[in-house]
Amino acid sequence: MLLGIDVGGTHTDAVAVDRNGVAASCKVRTDHADLLVSVRGALENILSRVDRAQVRRLNLSTTLSTNAIVEGRTEEVGVLLIPGPGIDPYNAMLCRHFHVLSGSIDHRGTEVKRLDQAEVAAAVDSCLKADIRVFAVAGKFSTRNPRHENAVRLALCRGEGACARADFLTLGHELGGRLNFPRRTATAFFNGAVWRLYNRFADAVEKTLADLNLGHVKVNVLKADGGTFPLALSRRMPVQSIFSGPAASVMGIIALCDITHDSVILDIGGTTTDIAVFAGGAPLVEQDGIHIGSHPTLVRALKVHSIGIGGDSALTVLNGVVRVGPNRLGPAVAEGGSVPTLVDALNAAGLCALGDAEASRSALAVLARTHGREPEALAKEAVDAAAGSIHAAVREMTAEINDRPVYTIHELLEGRRIVPKKVYVMGGPAEVMKMPLFRKFQLSTEVPPDYAVANAVGAALTRSTWDLELFADTEKNVLFIPSLQHRENIPRTYTLEEAKRDAVRHLLGHLGSLGVVLDSAEAQITRADSFNMVDGLATVGRNIRVKCQVKPGVAFRLTGRA
Amino acid sequence: MLKAVNSLGIIFFPAFDWSISPTHPEREERLLYTQDQLKEEGLFDIEGIREYKPGVASVEDVERAHFCFPEVDAVTTRSHLISAGGAITAAKLVMDKVHDRAFALVRPPGHHAMKVVHGSRGFCNINIEAVMIEWLREHYGVRRIAVVDTDCHHGDGTQDIYWHDPDVLFISLHQDGRTLYPGTGFPKECGGPTALGRTINIPLPPGASDEGLLMALDRVVLPILADFQPEIIVNSAGQDNHFSDPITNMNITAQGYAELNRRLAPHLAVLEGGYAIQGALPYVNLGICLAMAGLDSSGVREPGFDPERLRQPRKVTDYIAEVCEIAGGLYFNPPKEPKDGVFADKWFVRRKNIYYDTDEITEAQTEMLRLCGNCRGLLKIESRSTNNPLCLGLEIPFHACDECRDLGYKILEESQLKGEFRYIQFVNKREKEFVRYGF
Ligand SMILES: [Zn+2]
Ligand SMILES: [Zn+2]
Repeated sequence: MLLGIDVGGTHTDAVAVDRNGVAASCKVRTDHADLLVSVRGALENILSRVDRAQVRRLNLSTTLSTNAIVEGRTEEVGVLLIPGPGIDPYNAMLCRHFHVLSGSIDHRGTEVKRLDQAEVAAAVDSCLKADIRVFAVAGKFSTRNPRHENAVRLALCRGEGACARADFLTLGHELGGRLNFPRRTATAFFNGAVWRLYNRFADAVEKTLADLNLGHVKVNVLKADGGTFPLALSRRMPVQSIFSGPAASVMGIIALCDITHDSVILDIGGTTTDIAVFAGGAPLVEQDGIHIGSHPTLVRALKVHSIGIGGDSALTVLNGVVRVGPNRLGPAVAEGGSVPTLVDALNAAGLCALGDAEASRSALAVLARTHGREPEALAKEAVDAAAGSIHAAVREMTAEINDRPVYTIHELLEGRRIVPKKVYVMGGPAEVMKMPLFRKFQLSTEVPPDYAVANAVGAALTRSTWDLELFADTEKNVLFIPSLQHRENIPRTYTLEEAKRDAVRHLLGHLGSLGVVLDSAEAQITRADSFNMVDGLATVGRNIRVKCQVKPGVAFRLTGRA
Repeated sequence: MLKAVNSLGIIFFPAFDWSISPTHPEREERLLYTQDQLKEEGLFDIEGIREYKPGVASVEDVERAHFCFPEVDAVTTRSHLISAGGAITAAKLVMDKVHDRAFALVRPPGHHAMKVVHGSRGFCNINIEAVMIEWLREHYGVRRIAVVDTDCHHGDGTQDIYWHDPDVLFISLHQDGRTLYPGTGFPKECGGPTALGRTINIPLPPGASDEGLLMALDRVVLPILADFQPEIIVNSAGQDNHFSDPITNMNITAQGYAELNRRLAPHLAVLEGGYAIQGALPYVNLGICLAMAGLDSSGVREPGFDPERLRQPRKVTDYIAEVCEIAGGLYFNPPKEPKDGVFADKWFVRRKNIYYDTDEITEAQTEMLRLCGNCRGLLKIESRSTNNPLCLGLEIPFHACDECRDLGYKILEESQLKGEFRYIQFVNKREKEFVRYGF
């Protein structure tokens, strides 16, 4: 039995699933003041209906870190940067305690200028004086050589085992091997900013599970890229748990539907519709990473685009044209609100009967009269407008995906265009929006069973994933995997094939050490390049880059059930 | 967060799977570190800067700029068509007002490719700027265009293509041809009889630094541009003037390139040469991107940058001042007659021998321009090479007069009947007709 909990903005959804399907599910209101109350409530509800001894795993998706950042309830972080030459680092100044240090590493990992130890000491002292206990350190090209970042750690912690002068420290290169210094900086910063809050929550979750006799259950946390990671690891990388909500929905669709074609996934919620695009059966991952606030980060995420159209989106009429959203001005009239919404339009058009459908009809009648229209026609037009906006957003998103940069002739020639052949719809209004959407898309449109708790199903079934970049330079005889802080010497004869094998070996080894046992077939090489490096007219070595990941996926599917 | 003052589209196409040979300077690794640098700097996260994938130039896009013998497919690979396609994509972004400016960071380069193509010269098969310019003229009706070539090598291919074209101003700044391939690019080369003073060459002595480059820009290039009033300024942005480049002898820095770009303010930049792929390209390309976007680039410093060591000797400065004097004068007071050909009846005739160093081909050609008076004139080139027997290229220009157009068709018909040409390529730009014979 696997449990899934998705702590959402309005509701906390929970399910218990096994291979026979959803054994129990519930929705409780999210208590924003104390998320743990919601988690506990949902758990108790589920456990009252299933045998708790059968529960093996709990996957949790939470908005905790996201909300903390949005609401500014984060901790102050001391940011120490070693940017070297280039774009002025103060353009991306994130916080008050922001220190720029001298020293530089180039694109091949060569130290061009040494780190200034006196500057490091001064920066650390200044932060300590301001009672900063959490630090983020990032150097340009630290993913090619972490020497300067490690030196700052040493200076800050004075070499002691547990760092005496800082409670927590994030080094940029630990976040992965991808290049982008401003993003690395922001990611390290946010990781520190939510670290304490997140760890308090993790403590409480563990205590709750123990209280509920679930101490034996393995707990994983959802990431935005459609994978999970063990709670213990999430304590060091809380930033990875940010924006995992849409990923839960997408993974839910994968669990509930047998997706094989290029497809569009629509999750229609109260205020927004999340759109995801699948290439073949697989969800697309954002090439760079999500934005937190206005800051781009390296946090990997499924490619999900949100537009401001949901069941609670307000209707407006401008110059005779009906619009839906993007504003939400309270709940539907059917639910006691005062401004008619998409739900009211669906009610008035006779497509559903949610809450007080009569109230919806009178509200639409008032709106129609003001603009000299027939109420039913207006309601239908509103529904079509919502479907139309969603359709337009999907087209725009596919065009953008098909326009993404490519770097080799092969990619350009093989660059398959994504042409959606099927639409999957989930979320509250899914069933009633099915036909209006079908009319716009003219594509097979499916609404899976359990669509209302698909996100929690997704959370429950999502597998653990990890990814890493391996970087080898045979001229320098060095191999480096930044996210594992693994560096080793390699011979000049080291090849791309060996690099691919090593990348897979380290990826599975790392997951194994976290208790996640996977077959090597589940690891996937997503990039493998080897460049001859030439000096004069002779090849002096090879520059090898390998990216490897465990593909996002689900433990098993719940398809083919009546 | 940073926001570009001029919005900038970047077409980055490093062609990671194409090279001339594994150890050739023009190889897969060439833009690798540039890509690393641009990504690591977060350039594409700056508001107003976006990366695009290149289009692919068609055979006709190439034929608008070149006579290719025996045919386009025989002298190009996919990578050449993508590189030229990348330049076209850049132009389209600017013309459609998607961006204020665009930079095609693509390879392979093109500025040594001349009007006639039998193979590869100086690592170039087709002239990507020319393919782009001809595309711009056909699709957007742009008429006056300026190309400022800042590659260390003389842009002899672009010069050749626009030799007779008064609407395309070509200015090349380069290391003196007596000391570097291709050995041309002297002030006296200043255009054909209908376009005298529309080709300007500014040879710089070895050892010239940022000071000399900017002096030539300020004293010659900018005043000419101010007078010529082009609708579009293109920078052939070769980067082998860098002090660390292995195949040249100049002392330009990333800062110098950025400043040049800031003052020149081109709408379009197209990457040409540059072979210091680790120590120069990443920094120069970053500097140019920032300058094009109107952003601060003063923090860009390459390893080994030492202003003292790179200081320009007084002698070099004085020499450049003299060159500027001569070159600038040629635009405003061009000679009355061209020196490199003869007038025969209503035609101007030039004979040329061309060596393709990369492919080891020699070519002999006779170029004939009809001196019309009502239009740019019909162009006719007879060419034979170690690769091909006698071939004919015929071109009716944009805005051709009826007489030149009709004569073009008449010559085409006669040439076919006589059968003395193995291949014929005929391009009527006025009516967009492309015809090839001999396959
Ligand atoms: Zn060059
Ligand atoms: Zn004419």
